[in-house]
Amino acid sequence: MHLLEYYASDHWLSRIDARIKLLVTLIVLVMVLSYQGVGFQLLVAALSLTLIINMKIPWRLFLLRFSEPFLIVLVVFLLKIFFSGHDPLYSFNVLGLHLTMYREGLAEGIAIGSRIMAAISLMAVLVYATPFTELMAALSWLKVPQGFIEVLLYAYRYIFVLFEEAMVIYQAQKNRLGYANFRNRLSSFGILTGSLILKAFEQSQTLSTAMVQRGYDGNMPLFQSRPFRSSEIFLSCLVVTVMGLLWGI
Amino acid sequence: MKKVKCGLVLSLISGLCMPQHASAMHIAEGLLPFNWAAFWFAVALPFFAWGLYRLNQRSREDLSFKPLVGLMAAVVFIISCMPIPVPFAGTCSHPCGTGISGILVGPAISVVITAAALVIQALFLAHGGLSTLGADIVSMGVMGSFAGFLIFRALRSVKVNMAVAAFMAGLFADWATYFMTSVELAAGIRGEAAFLPLFWKVLIAFIPTQLPIGILEGAMTAGMVVLLYKKRPDLLVKMRVIKAREVAVIGAVLIALTIFFSGVAPAEASKWTGVDEAVIEKIAKEQGREPKEPLINMEQGDLPLFIFLVAGTIGGFAAGYYWRVLIAEKKSPLCRGHAEPGPEISAKIRGS
Repeated sequence: MHLLEYYASDHWLSRIDARIKLLVTLIVLVMVLSYQGVGFQLLVAALSLTLIINMKIPWRLFLLRFSEPFLIVLVVFLLKIFFSGHDPLYSFNVLGLHLTMYREGLAEGIAIGSRIMAAISLMAVLVYATPFTELMAALSWLKVPQGFIEVLLYAYRYIFVLFEEAMVIYQAQKNRLGYANFRNRLSSFGILTGSLILKAFEQSQTLSTAMVQRGYDGNMPLFQSRPFRSSEIFLSCLVVTVMGLLWGI
Repeated sequence: MKKVKCGLVLSLISGLCMPQHASAMHIAEGLLPFNWAAFWFAVALPFFAWGLYRLNQRSREDLSFKPLVGLMAAVVFIISCMPIPVPFAGTCSHPCGTGISGILVGPAISVVITAAALVIQALFLAHGGLSTLGADIVSMGVMGSFAGFLIFRALRSVKVNMAVAAFMAGLFADWATYFMTSVELAAGIRGEAAFLPLFWKVLIAFIPTQLPIGILEGAMTAGMVVLLYKKRPDLLVKMRVIKAREVAVIGAVLIALTIFFSGVAPAEASKWTGVDEAVIEKIAKEQGREPKEPLINMEQGDLPLFIFLVAGTIGGFAAGYYWRVLIAEKKSPLCRGHAEPGPEISAKIRGS
């Protein structure tokens, strides 16, 4: 859960307006997804990883964040290399099965893998350099419906509260021989999730009562954005132009 | 046949490779090319817009509904982050939680809940991604929620037991999600290859984890719904899962049972002896220790009443004697001598 809370507050990228960062990230993401090849994606991945290292992200968090995409890349790579293409590259036998690796599959696997790594590392730069509330303000500026942003804010606020509740219930269950065997584990997990839903119902009632007493009328006021700085606009235009040129090559 | 065998080997490899916190339901950031990512966004958009419309509509009727939807999103987020073991695959996977949200708040609003949980997971945990958000909303939000909701409602309409209906809803919500994820994945990564053969291979690769996890999710959904039904049926009425008439019937049955057992139980209990008589006295008698009359027999005469009267008199006398101590105001810390005076009082003392 601590993955959610990490923010490199002292990095120069963190001082740039969240709207600019979000917009540039989305533009570069579209470039990454639409690029036919590997070079541009590897470049974006390398630049993003350099920025992440420069932000001094703890290695444990970095590995936790990237472990799942790495495994997905591996599975997709295996699927492509063994099942896609006609030109055999290498053949071998496993458990009496004749497996063949294909040249086209290898190329496609590398292309998809580099695309995933570029997109994942790009998003990681955005998230590590922007607090959640600023990201929500930026989404609001991009005209994402306010109702959805409110739901996101409530969800983010209560993830930690409910997670703590879940841990307390989990420890209590463990102390009372919950999760001892598979059947017991299933029943304990059902009770845990059911209790969480009950807690969510109760918390929502308490929260709405408290908010109504403070003037809540069904719409939550969102954040006021400051005007853009000319240096931020210049930097973002420069990044998008350079990336566009590299994408076009 | 050879390709199916290869698929099985691959499914085994993928099953072994799945991480502890496998997120098989989420399509990773960047996995889909731009055209497919845009296509799935276009498919998800009408459902999402309908969900937002329903959310705003119900929020106007009940101000606590939007916070509730936010909290449900937090619950779905936590549920889909919790690893549970898949015994046949030897790995951990996670439930998606959209079946239960579909049952509780309806499929349209459940799409918004799923989208919120997915955005937070994509941004902070790298489960799924912003570019694949449309595809993930279609598979988890639309397919999972609608499958769960429709199956639950269909089974309840033919008077199927609540737990069985919830189990089937959770099961098919999970399987529908995994079926749709396979479609999206095969369409997105196939390149020049044919769609169907790759689709079957992806589907087979998912089987080791997702087939049993569907059954587990069904069991958990049933557990959750039954827990809510037992503990807070009023909430299920509020969420329009059950009708108030059902709760009234349950209440009437409970009251009838209470009345019945309150009449029957004491009569039945008199036939049973306590553990003291049945075990301790029996063993003591076997060892030659017969029970004796107590020195002070409390069960005879008005002895307990007399003791209570004497205790009340003593207590009343003590309270009356010390009433000043009991209800007088506390002295200031400065007068008590042992307490440290504050900086202002110390300054005043020094000044005087």
